[in-house]
Formats: sequence, structure tokens, C-alpha cells
Amino acid sequence: MIEEKKISCHDVMQHICENLGTELDSEKCKEIKAHLEICSHCQSYFKSVEVTIDCYRKYNVELPPDAHKRLIDFLGLEE
Amino acid sequence: MKENIKLIEEKELIEKAKKGDKKALSEIVKRYEQTIYNFSFKICRDKNKAEQIMQETFYSMVKSLHQFDHNSKLSTWLYRIVSNHCLMMARKLKSRTFVSFDDDDNLFEEKFTADWSSLPYSNTENEELKSILDDAIQKLAPEYRMVFLLRDVEGLSTEEAAQVTNLSVPALKSRLHRARAFLRKELNEALSK
Ligand SMILES: [Zn+2]
Repeated sequence: MIEEKKISCHDVMQHICENLGTELDSEKCKEIKAHLEICSHCQSYFKSVEVTIDCYRKYNVELPPDAHKRLIDFLGLEE
Repeated sequence: MKENIKLIEEKELIEKAKKGDKKALSEIVKRYEQTIYNFSFKICRDKNKAEQIMQETFYSMVKSLHQFDHNSKLSTWLYRIVSNHCLMMARKLKSRTFVSFDDDDNLFEEKFTADWSSLPYSNTENEELKSILDDAIQKLAPEYRMVFLLRDVEGLSTEEAAQVTNLSVPALKSRLHRARAFLRKELNEALSK
């Protein structure tokens, strides 16, 4: 007899990291979604992973004009 | 539609550059230098090294552009070159030790409870946050950083990112999910202090 095991927060957290934001409709994903709707712990985990990614997206550096000139020189090109 | 016109234009530009047209080459460099520099920085977290990697990347591009066959986007091809240069640079330096993922369960442990809603993440000019982000990502081996940055930060598709890194899609996804969970955990710890 197969014992039916309820999905755990740990499963959900792992799933979030594996499939962040991707719409999947396997049985497991439906369970995950159902769990997410009622578990505030997993909701905030989901949010925090999104925020983490967002932080890295927003942290950018601008190419300094000098570095552009050095690159063009280095390659023997002209403007 | 606009995207299509841009690609046709780019194809012409590449063909001109292949024939040694320096203006066309400069134009390609100008289109991608910001992206390449920014990406290099995101891998190595050092502006001088990022500039060096950018120079090496475009030098390689100029040398091997004749091999570019339009089977992928030029940007994907460039990501591949820059990724290789970043890995070479990391191997040369290899002074750091990186996190190992022998025990995945640690990734999901919840010892800290940061208040993520008050995180000043909309303000990445915040120097403290920047240094937290730099520290966290530098604990990841470059192979993991690369996957996270290509897929989640630069926004390549899973297939494109796999192509760039020479990984199978399942292997890429496994690195990606560990990188995500690890960075999230590091931020959570740092912000709980
Ligand atoms: Zn839960």
C-alpha cells in the first residue's frame, strides 16, 4: 500500500528554487500552488527568492568613457 | 517586428565586419560593450578585472568573427566568449574557496528571519546592500555564478544559457536552483543581523 504523503514546506521551497515563476501543470505543481496559497511561510520564501534575484538585476555598473576609449585603441579600431 | 529589423541590420553589420570593415566592427563593439562589461563585473565583482575581461572578449570576437555562422544570436555567441574568459580569469586567481553543495538540505534551513518587506532593494545605490550582494555571490563557484547570472539576471532562456555554458538543461537547472537558494540564504542571514 502506498502511503499518501502530504507535501512539506521543504518540498515547496525546493520547488520554488527549481521552477521559479514557470507555469507548470503537473500534479506536483498543482499541489505546490495549493500549498502556497495557504502557507504564509512558503509565500514569504517565494517572495524572498524573487527579491534576491531582483537585487542582482538592479545592481549594474556603467562602462566608463575612458574604458570605452581604451577598448577601441586596444582593438586598433576607430570611432 | 522591430526586433527583426534589428537582426537583419546586425547580420549585414557582421558580414561587413567579417570582410574587415573597421567601422562595422566598431559599431558591433559599441552595441555590446556595456553588456559585456556589466556581465564581466557581475561575475568577478571588480571593475579593473571586468575591463580586462571585456578587452579579451572583444579581441577574441575580432579574431574569430569569421567563424560566426548566424546559427545563434550574436549576443549568445558573445556571452559564450565572455563566460570563457571569466572562467579563465577565475582559474588564474583561484585563491578563494567556494561553498560546496554536498548537503542541499542546509540550503533551506530557516535559522534567520529577515524582514524582506523592508529591504531597500529598490535602492541598489545602497552601499551596504551592494557589499552584501558582492560577498554572497563571491562565495559561489564561478560555474554557479555564471548560470545564475545568465539565466536570472541577464534573462537568457534556459536553453540559451545551457548553450552558452555547454551544460545539459537538467544540469543547468540543478546549478541554478542551488545558486538561487544559496544567494537567498546568504542575503537572509546578512539582513537578519
Ligand atoms: Zn509551506
